[in-house]
Amino acid sequence: MRAAMQRFARNRMAVLGALVIGGVVVLTVTAPLLYPAGAFTLAGPPLQPPGARFLLGTDALGRDVAAGVVQGARTSLLIGLSAALSAVLFGSLIGALAGYYRGAVDIVLMRLTEFFQTIPAFLLAMLLVVIMSPSVLSVIIAISAVSWPGIARLVRGEFVALGGREFVLASIGLGASGPRIIFRHLLPNCVSSIIAIGSLLVASAILLESGLAFLGLGDPNVMSWGLLISAGRVTLRSAWWVCTFPGIAILLTVLSINLIGDGLNEALNPRLRER
Amino acid sequence: MSGIPTPRLSRRALLLASAATAIAAPAAEAQTPRPGGTMVMIVNPEPATLASYAVSAGNIPPITTQVYEGLLTYDWDLKPQPLLAKSFEVSADGKTITFKLQEGVTFHNGAAFTSADVAYSFMEIAKKVNPNGPVILRELEAVETPDAMTAIFKLANPAPYLMMSLSSNNIPIICKSVFEGTAPMQNPTANRPIGTGPFKFAAWERGQFVRLDKWEKYWKPGLPLLNRIIARFIPDAATRTAALETGEAHYAGYSAVNAADIKRMQANPILGSTTLGYGTTAATSVLEFNMRRPHLAKKEVRQAICYAIDRQFIVDNILYGFGKPAVGPLSSVFTTSGWFTDDVRHFDVPNRLEIANKLMDDAGYPRGANGVRFGLHLEVNSFGEQWLRQAEYLKQALGQIGVELTLRSEDTATWLRRCYTDYDFDINEPFYSAGADPVIGVHRHYVSSAIRQGTTFVNNKDYRSPVVDKLMDDATRELDPTKRADLYHAAQKQMVEDSPGAWLAEVQYVTIFNKKLHDHTMGPLGTYEAFSRAWLER
Repeated sequence: MRAAMQRFARNRMAVLGALVIGGVVVLTVTAPLLYPAGAFTLAGPPLQPPGARFLLGTDALGRDVAAGVVQGARTSLLIGLSAALSAVLFGSLIGALAGYYRGAVDIVLMRLTEFFQTIPAFLLAMLLVVIMSPSVLSVIIAISAVSWPGIARLVRGEFVALGGREFVLASIGLGASGPRIIFRHLLPNCVSSIIAIGSLLVASAILLESGLAFLGLGDPNVMSWGLLISAGRVTLRSAWWVCTFPGIAILLTVLSINLIGDGLNEALNPRLRER
Repeated sequence: MSGIPTPRLSRRALLLASAATAIAAPAAEAQTPRPGGTMVMIVNPEPATLASYAVSAGNIPPITTQVYEGLLTYDWDLKPQPLLAKSFEVSADGKTITFKLQEGVTFHNGAAFTSADVAYSFMEIAKKVNPNGPVILRELEAVETPDAMTAIFKLANPAPYLMMSLSSNNIPIICKSVFEGTAPMQNPTANRPIGTGPFKFAAWERGQFVRLDKWEKYWKPGLPLLNRIIARFIPDAATRTAALETGEAHYAGYSAVNAADIKRMQANPILGSTTLGYGTTAATSVLEFNMRRPHLAKKEVRQAICYAIDRQFIVDNILYGFGKPAVGPLSSVFTTSGWFTDDVRHFDVPNRLEIANKLMDDAGYPRGANGVRFGLHLEVNSFGEQWLRQAEYLKQALGQIGVELTLRSEDTATWLRRCYTDYDFDINEPFYSAGADPVIGVHRHYVSSAIRQGTTFVNNKDYRSPVVDKLMDDATRELDPTKRADLYHAAQKQMVEDSPGAWLAEVQYVTIFNKKLHDHTMGPLGTYEAFSRAWLER
């Protein structure tokens, strides 16, 4: 683990990404202190350019864009992390069952996975949100529902590869139960791959959430970057700042998470570098 | 190779010369109508059908009123003027209307226009399938046709609003021989209209455009001037703006352009703008309160919500200045007709928040520890982003009086079902057009007989006021304009006092046009009237 940390620290881009995300997390935590009134408050005159009073300007209703960006960070991280986490848990479970038991279980679960993989992810997410009516929970469910198949396939592949190894055969020979082999012996061996892919999933979940909010399918009671951009789009040519700053926030966050993901991948699977 | 520079030079010289002429051209010459040319107008969004005789969506008539004509049109004072009816006469008791029809009118399929077409259009089509038919034509019992050029309307009771509802947009005259024996919506001409108008339908390329060609045998001599009209459908607002700015499109009505862009476009020297041509829309944004809910059943609560809203803020920041604060259920466009009154309870007083908070206290809803009295849901209008912005503002505004508003935005079908079928809403934020007469688009939101579960955009508030019912019912039949005005004044006063809803803003639509296009807005119907006199400078 220590060696992995050192390998990660040697990857300058990954460290940079981690610093940016660290900054975002700090902003998220301090948001209630920085902007106690919240992001929807009509703070001043509409469409003020960035300046001393409003660091990033105000939008068409006179809401502080900076407050929106900070509050939006919270929404994006919350939804990104929860959606990625639930997708990882569900995907791993499906993949593990299919990869360990093979046979009919494998066929059924993998056909199910492929079924989800063949439907365009964004359209399915949109449909699910519309059916469940937009709220934070429904957005998380929709994003997890379109994100788990990748994890499931990955975990199944790892399980199939590990299935014939001596330590697994030994465990079977010693009479270990299926769940014990899956959770004690197989899963820990592919956790590094899951972490690497899972971290990238956070980035794609944030992008999906912004896309949904942009199309008006986010929770209307919660500020989010996508919502800010969609509200600022109509004034793009007269007030560039309204959608530029949330756009930069999305770009930086998603890029940083991707860099971290790459760094983790290299750090946890050092043999990849030699290929 | 040496030949190339010469034509390039001459072309540039030519361009320069033409630009110079355009600048130097005397105004008088620019005002002489020239026939020919193709006008491109933007219609947004693309209509689902062109069956304007059966569907009342607002994006259909800009196309269909070029093709179909009505019996009448209206002048700037909203006085009826002849169109397919050459003249008309209302009997003293208001129960008989005699129309003398234009002679020598032919449909685009070559059939001659007669009184039989009028009778069929009203009795078989409008009365049966037009969504406004049950209201506008409620009193119409029969259309008699003593000869080919006379149509006599027999009414059960006087219907003064009927004469305000006979435009090409309201009741299009269709060709009887085309429709006879078919189901109107399944008729082959539902999407390939055949009318008597100045332009005949040529093609509909789905997702792209509708093409309308000049009708050579149009009954008004020398008209239309344009050879062709292309109605283009551009889903993206920024692209619509760009199409006008580059001169690719000549005309965009009904605020097809983002309000935020209008100010910038008005500064563009090749573009002009007008707010004329919306005289019969009277578009108002409103809130509907579900009076079945315990909080909203109390008049004090409803009034407090009305006091909490800064209407000028909505006009300035959500409509970008294109509108004005609404004062009651009737739009101020009814000032000229005398029906509108300003003599109602005013919510835009300086100490409005104080009053609102006191009303809430009096209603028995004190603020809790966190400053909140109670929570309500607002159903966000699904017809565009502007409504989400308004909802976000309302959440802030109601927060000031301790009402915690939760926004719910759903797709159109779910939203409509929730508000008009299931009645599972607290506050709804729809948007209405009143039409040329209150009977057409106002009554159905407030009279108790219009509480019709499952019908959209009627009285879903459970508002039952015997006083208002009686006043509106009398106004429907009253022929004397002064007495009718008095009835409406009393009704407005009562409704604002009861506040079954909140009236937010009267929306001012803007038409953006290329200055090369002339004579496009010739009356109060604006884009709901044929461009028969429009012409292009070239």
